[in-house]
Amino acid sequence: MKLHKMFTHLPIWIVLSLLLVVALPTAAQDASTLVVWITWGDNPAQLQELFNRYGEANGVTVQVNAPVTEDQVIAGLSGSEPPDILVTGGPANVGSWAREELIVPLNDLLAATGLDTSEIFPAPLGQCDYDGTYYCLPWGTDTYALFWNKDLFEDAGLDPDTPPQTMEELVEFADQLTIVEADGTVSQVGFIPDFSWSHLNLYTRMFGGYWYNEDGTELTLTSQPVVDALLWEQQFYTKYGVDNVLRLTSALGGYMSPDQGFYAGKIAMMVEGEWQTGPNFIQQFKPELFYGVAPFPAPADHPERANTSVLEGTVAMIPSGSPNQEAAAALLTWMMSPEILADEMVANFNLPTTMASAEDPRFHESEKFEVFLNLMNDPNATTGIYTAINGEVDTALGQIEEQVLHAGADPVPLLEEAQAQLQPRLEETLQ
Amino acid sequence: MDITSTSIQPSVKRKGWSVVRRRRLVTGLLFISPWIIGFLIFTLYPMVASLYYSFTEFHVRKAPELIGFANYAELFSDKLFWTSLANTLYLVVIGVPLTLFLSFLCAVLLNLKVRGQSIYRVIFFMPSIVPTVASSLLWIWILNPSSGIVNTLLGQIGIMGPNWFRDPNWAKPALIMMGLWGMGGTIVIYLSGLQDVPTSLLEAAEIDGATWLQRLWHITIPMVSPITLFNLIIGVISTFQYFAQAYVFGTAVDTANTALGAPLNSTLFYSIYLYQNGFVYLRMGYASAMAWILFIVIMICTLLLLRTSNRWTYYAG
Repeated sequence: MKLHKMFTHLPIWIVLSLLLVVALPTAAQDASTLVVWITWGDNPAQLQELFNRYGEANGVTVQVNAPVTEDQVIAGLSGSEPPDILVTGGPANVGSWAREELIVPLNDLLAATGLDTSEIFPAPLGQCDYDGTYYCLPWGTDTYALFWNKDLFEDAGLDPDTPPQTMEELVEFADQLTIVEADGTVSQVGFIPDFSWSHLNLYTRMFGGYWYNEDGTELTLTSQPVVDALLWEQQFYTKYGVDNVLRLTSALGGYMSPDQGFYAGKIAMMVEGEWQTGPNFIQQFKPELFYGVAPFPAPADHPERANTSVLEGTVAMIPSGSPNQEAAAALLTWMMSPEILADEMVANFNLPTTMASAEDPRFHESEKFEVFLNLMNDPNATTGIYTAINGEVDTALGQIEEQVLHAGADPVPLLEEAQAQLQPRLEETLQ
Repeated sequence: MDITSTSIQPSVKRKGWSVVRRRRLVTGLLFISPWIIGFLIFTLYPMVASLYYSFTEFHVRKAPELIGFANYAELFSDKLFWTSLANTLYLVVIGVPLTLFLSFLCAVLLNLKVRGQSIYRVIFFMPSIVPTVASSLLWIWILNPSSGIVNTLLGQIGIMGPNWFRDPNWAKPALIMMGLWGMGGTIVIYLSGLQDVPTSLLEAAEIDGATWLQRLWHITIPMVSPITLFNLIIGVISTFQYFAQAYVFGTAVDTANTALGAPLNSTLFYSIYLYQNGFVYLRMGYASAMAWILFIVIMICTLLLLRTSNRWTYYAG
């Protein structure tokens, strides 16, 4: 009888316990624990160790979660328990998150901690500027230069120590470096403009423009520099046959493998980032590769655009829902301190974003890495222009680039269509 | 003597339920309450909320703004919306019937009394337990245009295989092929249906001189038609929601911004575009409107299938 009664009451207890669990307020986040989310992280233990140094010096615990996925970030930012600091691989979402008030403006918070933003290189800092306010800080950054395979240059009768000096010369060199077999297939290609991913921003800057006006209030998708950049890219596909080039690239190995197109000697020149000169890429997968690095060349009729580069990379921000925003700002300031920034950038072989950290002798040991440092320090260093509809614009441009390069489409009508569709969306977000 | 008036009295109906019955109801409800609570919180509430959000410009932290049917109106003029719907319909119209046909064929073969029957069954079922991500990556390798096994075999008979995942004409057929590899679940359901085909009917037909093909056409196929209906509806619903394979495939094949839907939007399926709007562009209101249109499309398709099913399904009972 007793057992029966217990059994009858069991569901009541289950439901009551469930309700209790749901109804109980979640324990307020402990102010002595700071949570950092990082969307990348090949080596989470190294990141945790780095942040432990802050914890030990300041009597707090810093908990690092890396890598977190994009979905987790959105859920975290919109939920009740976001991290105190969010570090993402690029600035693409900063504008839309700022507009949605998912992240906080940093100017006042950082001023209170004594951080001097004039110490940060202006180009990477520009990524964080949304509507005249800083919403993030560049925790290291990336930029791109031209890599060339000296052995393949020699095989093609080119001087292995002289990379192309203009964009026009790059096209000529690419022709000489491309090997077309008797059956029409391509076994080696001189240059693929969208390898390993799009570099349309760099080419457009080289042609003297961008797809927004300077203050990001207007889309300029149909402007001549964007059209010129796309047509310049297109010729590498039309000349050797779209199918031939795509077959060659589809058959290549992964980004981090000895069969990566440039490592494997299938692509003679590529546009790539500074991390390639570190220990985790070429040195690991193809240590014998004989290559050089130089700034991407400017158009022949615009020598003043030499050393133009686009800096984009890791940015750190404070979510609006963080209960410890002042403590998070202090941690962010610590992350930007010369020693910490230098240590972290040395570990990942990325560019240090403050002038003091860039002086660290470890960054000046490699001539190849120095090419990137000089690009960041050059007056022609730029960054993208970021708005709240960045994601849509990036996707639209990516699709247009794909149609122009891989399907031989005329860029103008496609750009006009995208301009007509996206400009009203941009205006909506600016209201 | 009027016996009816004295011995048979109409019973007095008690209003409501007895205490025991009521207690049993409460106990029963309490037992299934975890499900009820789960359904209300995790299914019904999000559904109703998404319907509301579909009429708003949704902001993640700020209050949503009511904008009427603007999201729906914008959708109908959005070219990519129609592209994604057309791509999904391609999979539904070509992929689902092909899967059903081949699953049935495999099930019939696996039902033959041959030595090692159970081993064959295991072999055919195994691919369906391979995680989607792993099988997608495997197929990207199998369909590599230069070194993949498919194009290598085609090359040996003098055919230059297509550039499967980078050619917009071949990307969807490649995904359908990838899907066919994992049709083990459908085969098992068909196999169970085949066990229920009465042997008496098959034997009677055999005695009457029916060939194997005639028995298959006139007895087996009609007898498993309810199973076909079930597989068809489940197939249509899941194909309309096709996401994981296309997502993995897109991001693995192309690292650029165009990854989702590459090449040239030929694999931009409905759920992929919905995800992109919701989680990449943070346009949750727009994505909610897309979700409701998908719900309506699936409902119409399912109803049409159910309504027309009495013409081609046969229930022995």
